[in-house]
Amino acid sequence: MSTEKTDVVIVGVGAAGGILAAELSKAGMKVVGLERGPRLKTEDFMAHDELRFFARQDLRPNIKRSPVTWRPNVNARAHPLQELDYGNEAGGGTVHYGSLSWRMHEDDFRVRTKTIERYGASAIPADSSLVDWPLSYAELEPFYDKAEYELGVSGKAGNLEGKKIEGGNIFEAPRKREYPLPPLIVDESGLLYEAGAKKLGLHPFPSPRAIISQPYHDRPGCTYCGFCQAFGCHVAAKSSILVTKLPEADATGNFKLITGAMCYRVNSDDSGKVTGVSYYGPDRSDNTIEADLVIVSPFIYDNTRLMLLSRTAKFPNGLANSSGHLGKHIMAHMMAGVFVTFDDRYVNNFMGPSAQKHTVDDYNADNFDHSGLGFIRGAQLSIGTPNLEGGPISATTIAPPPGTPRWGAAYRDFIARAYARHGAMVAQTENLPYADQTIDLDPDVRDAWGLPAPRVTYDWRRPNERARVDFVQKKLVEIGQAMGGVEVWPAPVSPAGAPGAHHEGGTRMGSDPKDSVVNKYGQTWDHHNLFLVGSSTYPTMGAGFNPTLTIEALAYMTADAIVNRYRKNPGQLL
Amino acid sequence: MSRKHNATRRAFVVGGAIGAGAAAAAGAALVPEAFAKSGERETAMDAPAADHAAITEMSATNGGSGAFFNDDDAHTVAAFAERLMPGAPGKPGATDANVLNYIDLALSGAYEDQQYFYRTGLAQLDAHCAKTYAKPFRQLAQAQQDECIAALEHGKAPEFVWPTAQAFFDTLRKHTMEGMFADPVYGGNQDFAGWRLVGFPGAQPGFTRADMQSTDAFTRAPIVGLQSEIASASKKG
Repeated sequence: MSTEKTDVVIVGVGAAGGILAAELSKAGMKVVGLERGPRLKTEDFMAHDELRFFARQDLRPNIKRSPVTWRPNVNARAHPLQELDYGNEAGGGTVHYGSLSWRMHEDDFRVRTKTIERYGASAIPADSSLVDWPLSYAELEPFYDKAEYELGVSGKAGNLEGKKIEGGNIFEAPRKREYPLPPLIVDESGLLYEAGAKKLGLHPFPSPRAIISQPYHDRPGCTYCGFCQAFGCHVAAKSSILVTKLPEADATGNFKLITGAMCYRVNSDDSGKVTGVSYYGPDRSDNTIEADLVIVSPFIYDNTRLMLLSRTAKFPNGLANSSGHLGKHIMAHMMAGVFVTFDDRYVNNFMGPSAQKHTVDDYNADNFDHSGLGFIRGAQLSIGTPNLEGGPISATTIAPPPGTPRWGAAYRDFIARAYARHGAMVAQTENLPYADQTIDLDPDVRDAWGLPAPRVTYDWRRPNERARVDFVQKKLVEIGQAMGGVEVWPAPVSPAGAPGAHHEGGTRMGSDPKDSVVNKYGQTWDHHNLFLVGSSTYPTMGAGFNPTLTIEALAYMTADAIVNRYRKNPGQLL
Repeated sequence: MSRKHNATRRAFVVGGAIGAGAAAAAGAALVPEAFAKSGERETAMDAPAADHAAITEMSATNGGSGAFFNDDDAHTVAAFAERLMPGAPGKPGATDANVLNYIDLALSGAYEDQQYFYRTGLAQLDAHCAKTYAKPFRQLAQAQQDECIAALEHGKAPEFVWPTAQAFFDTLRKHTMEGMFADPVYGGNQDFAGWRLVGFPGAQPGFTRADMQSTDAFTRAPIVGLQSEIASASKKG
């Protein structure tokens, strides 16, 4: 049992927590970071080992030690999810992620208003809690810029201060300057996708990624080894928090990282202030940190869980829950896959950064007219690898084309023929928020520390979401055919209703304490010295875009507000 | 590392005909020093015929030489995996890749918590085959094995309760694919059999623009594993 005092304690040092750790410690604040997992080194990623990192998910939370349960509805029994797609080490998910780095579109921040303007209020499903964000793209733009330049993102601008540029994403929000690094090399599958999409009149471009295409900030450029999504980068070309912001925090002398630390409670007093956190050490010791400012920034399940676990007599429904919205409005991207094979060429898509390599944004967000389609919002359509990872074990999870069995001589011949000659496309579809998609505490399942597991209640199979998935999957089939594929076939999409990738929500931000948990800075309405930062605060998914760059931009914005304003008047509502 | 449950070797032991040359020829580039030595030691015993028989009998009754499976179960799993990924000339299969050894080592280590799943599933498989064919799975003709696997895949084997037939099939399939395609350091994918089958060059340190935009099979560099490589990435069947 130990107790220590500090200015700031940060729970979870990933995309959000790592940036806050660096920015606050650089500003002279004493920061302690708590991380459930280890702190690894670039040398730890030398093993290009698909079994360990992809199949056995070595960089993700262990599903037995840290279970997360799921049920499709309140009448069903929850069972542990068999894969947890987030990080479990210092740097969080940025260590193993595919590094897709998107700015949301300008109108994604005012999605309710814009949807009603274009299609009328009846276009929004009655049970959806679709809302505008409490901030504009213009407010966040400087922080997107900062994230791209400080971390290192490779890409091609498609909209420089309103001027549309072919070859970049012409649908993107206006940016003030080019990406800091040119796009990564396009592989054969990307070239085919580019040509096929153009034939259909679409606007393909190389996906922006936080992987440096050239030497940058003393790190070497990408080697295109292919062991990317699910792996740590063996040359530190992936601009993870581990190799960017944590060294900055270390250099200040004001930052201390405690690994193997499982935070189980945010402590509070009856005045409404939080006073610090308690955590179990790797030796099962029970420790307390007293802090003036508490920042909670783990993956989304643990944000809600920690608020619920921190309930007191004064706050019987959990901290930060006076609105009753804690744990609600959970969202996930449904991943609708389409596969394509070629008989006239090898594609060798195991080469190069493996996730969502080349993109079409024409069917994302509200970039196309939804009139008469029966759904709103869209998907990012890309080509890459199955499961965003290109090794052969990953390829064996592909459902083969109709008529081909999953085993036996015919399957062997299929995998032998198709492995190096296939492309894997995916539509990453935005899902709308619904209040009854929730996280709470599982009454039966406990984690290795004896704490109730987070329980997700979620079923994506709503009419609006089904119609969207069907529509975008058909668009991918059209692209596959235009690419010259000999076989083009869609994969089944989560038939049981389980959530897809990039879970978001649970502590939604807003401008009214009555219907949101935090303000745009992640500051909780109920406890002004408690901040929740990360994609748990997203009120909508924004688009079919991977969330990390927006998490990072929001973290920079929160850090700026704390350093330049909050610190001068601690306890104020920003 | 990779010789447990090797059917070829067992045949040699039974016949008393194993030779140092035969052991060394099987995957010469990959055989670690320690294994090569143990192979020599075994062949150098030069025991009389009667002792060979005793050794063989003991091996068949005491659980074989695997880390987890007994001999019957080893034969069952090897046969099951081979039907899932059958070998053919120029097309390495589960036996060529030594998938059995991968699963055996996994169950004695990383997948220890699935031992009961396998034990129960294999007992149910035997019960199903005893009822349907009056023989254990490992003794069925290939066509019957295929028919049996299809029944499991489609949940049509009522002898299965827990694990369900489909869960057992799915796990065997998943682990067979891992044994085919995981790095050889885990005991399968022997001689890069799986990687040669599909044209995967292994743990390469990087690729060039020309590699990435080529429309040919990748042959510029040898197949590389975590601990070894072979001389050419071109498929040698």
